Amino acid sequence: MPDIEPLRLQVQAKIRKFELLSSSGLWILALFTAMSIGASRDFDFLPSLSPEIHEMLGSAPPTNFINWALVLYGFSAIIMVLTQMTGGKKPRGAISHFFYLSAFYTFYHFSGDLHENLWAIFTVGMTILSLQGYHVWNYYKDKVREEQEILAELNKLIEEK
Amino acid sequence: MFNNLIARAIVPITIAVTGFVVFGCLLLYTFIKSDMTDEAILHVDNLAETVSKSARYAMMQDDRESLRNIVGNVGTLAQVGQIRIYDQEGGIRFSGDPQETAPGAGQQADDPWASKMMQPDYPERTKTNHNIGGDSGLISVSIPILNESKCSTADCHFHSANEPVLGFLTLGISSEPLEKTLDLLRSRMIVFCLMVLFLSIGGVAALLRMNLFLPIFRLTYCAKQAVAGATVKELPKADNKLGRLEKDFRQLVQQRDDALQGWQTTGSSPFDTENGTAFDSRIGTDDAGHRTAAAAGPSQNS
Repeated sequence: MPDIEPLRLQVQAKIRKFELLSSSGLWILALFTAMSIGASRDFDFLPSLSPEIHEMLGSAPPTNFINWALVLYGFSAIIMVLTQMTGGKKPRGAISHFFYLSAFYTFYHFSGDLHENLWAIFTVGMTILSLQGYHVWNYYKDKVREEQEILAELNKLIEEK
Repeated sequence: MFNNLIARAIVPITIAVTGFVVFGCLLLYTFIKSDMTDEAILHVDNLAETVSKSARYAMMQDDRESLRNIVGNVGTLAQVGQIRIYDQEGGIRFSGDPQETAPGAGQQADDPWASKMMQPDYPERTKTNHNIGGDSGLISVSIPILNESKCSTADCHFHSANEPVLGFLTLGISSEPLEKTLDLLRSRMIVFCLMVLFLSIGGVAALLRMNLFLPIFRLTYCAKQAVAGATVKELPKADNKLGRLEKDFRQLVQQRDDALQGWQTTGSSPFDTENGTAFDSRIGTDDAGHRTAAAAGPSQNS
């Protein structure tokens, strides 16, 4: 009978990895909350851009356009995460959602309407990232459970030996 | 806690619905606030334009008394919080509040917004400016009184032809009614939001519980009873909400009961029965698709 110990160690390492990954959704949520706190202060801790860079970037899009883009993005992102959840697919895209939301904060900041729309972005961001976090947590907890079952079988084999 | 079937069904719906309803309400509030503020600005613009047109004639006639009366009367309107006519240096010449133009008063713009706008190097000095949500609690507009050829050549007083701005008319209406309306709208929106949330989440949860969770719990309870040795007749009555699953489960229990009964009458184990006939007799009666590969025989698998 082959030596089971390396396989057992491999399974234990996988369990540790999956447990670490299961809380990754919370890290993204914390990062987004930190960014929202920065946005509520109108990013006053960041150095302001020079007029040359402002000129290079051009004028910000109208607030109405950003609002509609946010509605479209929020709706699509929620549907996407729910589809991932129902399909039991590997969770992906938490980082890209974080960057999309940061881009919305940046656009509103340059259009001068960040203060008015802060809570809207915060709510849509928390919704998307909470759903994503819940999916990540469930997905990796299931993986941990599978690996734990394998580990229990391996432990049984070792005991029988 | 969040890992069972109920949590997996309810939590995503709760998060998605709550988030989207709150987001929708916040966005709707922002849109309404923006529209109402635009409406208030339009109103103050129209009022200022009316005053400006009336004052212009009095200015051209050098009729200071009429000008004082116009400004004073508009200043008595309940919604008007401030009306002033400044000269080009930023001194208050006419005001709705007589104390501001009384002898010995400072007669200089004390409002930082007005002071900034009247600086000679301010780039938008010749344009109409608005001030919303300032410390004064007013929605204000400032209209520059521009130099015209008739002004610089008038008999009453002389202005140099190259001075583009002769003064400013500022008019501010109180933002309090707007704030009150928005507060009312906010509180109503919160109530509406809570109603939608309770109805949608509560409704979904109740429907899921009634149509899915309770039948599953009932089946789980039946399975537990069956494992404990209950016969199919002793199991609680089926509600048929799970359809085929429930029928098949009961059929399995029935097969087990029959096998046990056969074993008790013949005295042999059901697994020792030749070719598994005790099982096959039941399996074969209803649905051939449910036969195991071994029971169906090699010819049926080819």
